[in-house]
Amino acid sequence: MLQTSSLPTTPATLLEITGLTKSFDGVKAVEDVSLQLREGIITTLVGPNGAGKTTLFNLITGHLRPSSGEIRWQGTSIVGCAPWKIARLGVARTFQDLRLFSHMTVFENVLTAMEKSAWFWQSERATGAQRRERARQILDATGLLHKADVRANDLAYAERKFLSLARIMATDARMWLLDEPASGLDPRSYELFVALLRSEVRRGITICIIEHNLEIVVSISDRISFLDQGRLLADGEPEEILSNPHLSSIYFGERNS
Amino acid sequence: MLAYVANLATLICINAILAVTLNFIMGYAGIFSLAHAVFFGVGAYVAALMALQWTDSLLLQLAFAMTVSGLLSAALALPALRVRGDYFVAASLGFQVLAVTVFSEWKSVTGGIGGLVGIPPATIAGHAFVNPMEFLGLAAVALALVVLLTRTLVRSSFGRSLKAIRDSESAALAFGKNVALIKTLSVFYSSAMCATAGVLYADYLSFINVESFTIDASTLFMAMVIVGGIGTVWGPLVGAVLLTLLPAVLTYLPFLPQTEIGSVQQMVYGLAMVLLMIFKPDGLMGIKQGEA
Repeated sequence: MLQTSSLPTTPATLLEITGLTKSFDGVKAVEDVSLQLREGIITTLVGPNGAGKTTLFNLITGHLRPSSGEIRWQGTSIVGCAPWKIARLGVARTFQDLRLFSHMTVFENVLTAMEKSAWFWQSERATGAQRRERARQILDATGLLHKADVRANDLAYAERKFLSLARIMATDARMWLLDEPASGLDPRSYELFVALLRSEVRRGITICIIEHNLEIVVSISDRISFLDQGRLLADGEPEEILSNPHLSSIYFGERNS
Repeated sequence: MLAYVANLATLICINAILAVTLNFIMGYAGIFSLAHAVFFGVGAYVAALMALQWTDSLLLQLAFAMTVSGLLSAALALPALRVRGDYFVAASLGFQVLAVTVFSEWKSVTGGIGGLVGIPPATIAGHAFVNPMEFLGLAAVALALVVLLTRTLVRSSFGRSLKAIRDSESAALAFGKNVALIKTLSVFYSSAMCATAGVLYADYLSFINVESFTIDASTLFMAMVIVGGIGTVWGPLVGAVLLTLLPAVLTYLPFLPQTEIGSVQQMVYGLAMVLLMIFKPDGLMGIKQGEA
């Protein structure tokens, strides 16, 4: 069931979620969510804490198994697939708590993310030298080249955030799921971060991002999906969502309480 | 005196192989095994049985011992590694206890408590390693090969995958690493390599019994890795040297009554471990920045 429509206004759906529900001991963290992630754009997931955003990511990447519902990657169901298989299909992610390979160097972090196969040889044609060169380019683009030999553990906060991004850049995934990648960044880092995301999207990467900072949401989103208490309340163009008084009362109401 | 030193050096080489192979899974894959002595024992029994009943060819003994030990480890690793990492310690402990029972009760194969005696010296291309100095050379070469191979593996993409899994299993999965398979293979490699130490041990002593392959031995190997520095190249070697020499040094202390040496040794081990964990938790060769 591959989508062939190529209307310029509506990009093809890369990932399609239908009626997705996940309950933990009867509590529904995600309830009947249907969502399409379209190719080549940035979709932002917003919503108060506990809305089920990260759970949704975990369901997509196979780190959690849905209670019911369907997830299709380019038309093929990926429900029940092992996380490493889904990753190899082209879905990469970052974690809110980063989960860097903390005892490895910055360079090794990027290199191992690039090495799809665990063996001594790699299936793709690139040689070891080419992979190392590519890793250096990525570190250069993320401003980490001078820290290449530093252990991930010994990086400053913003640098860790960029390493998390560098690691995902090293994969050849077509879709990135970014879990609050910009939280806590200073304005200068944040500008570099947004510029990086934009250039990756131009390169053809599809991004779904969880973000709390409305300023960032406004500046990067092509589409916004609003979740609350596990349910998808709205899904549409940024102006449409952000101007909806009902949604902002939920969003800010929760934050102020 | 020379023979005495050569004997100690040979035992150090054998222990170092055990420590290096255990460090491979403990230090790089984050898998803590209390069953390392089982695979040491399997290697030794396979070599001894082959030598007694079939062939004294060292290379054949190595090939068989490594295969049997590796396959047996997969039988442990496949189910045990599917659950979360911490359970492997418990599973390996159970495996160790089970193996000791088999070693001491399966009399027709292992000789029971009495073990296997009169194991003929091993040969390579018809040359028998009878001279202790020659055997020391053999053990040293084996150790060098194991260290070299392990080091190459750690620095390859396989090694990076292992370290990634150690640092964050969920992130490794998210980057396409087949965690269960990689862990199983690392245990397979570690156990197969560990069996080479068993082969050397059986051929060297020409006598083996279950006492060398108990939980005490497994803990000793683990202590070597931790004392020397887990996850470092030189740590397990240093740990093996120190903990092999310790009992020998204690026998030279004139004020210790010979009968008490055993318990003094345990106290020294315990004290050393406690002090080390307080003052140098990364091991003697451990550096804050981490090796690798």
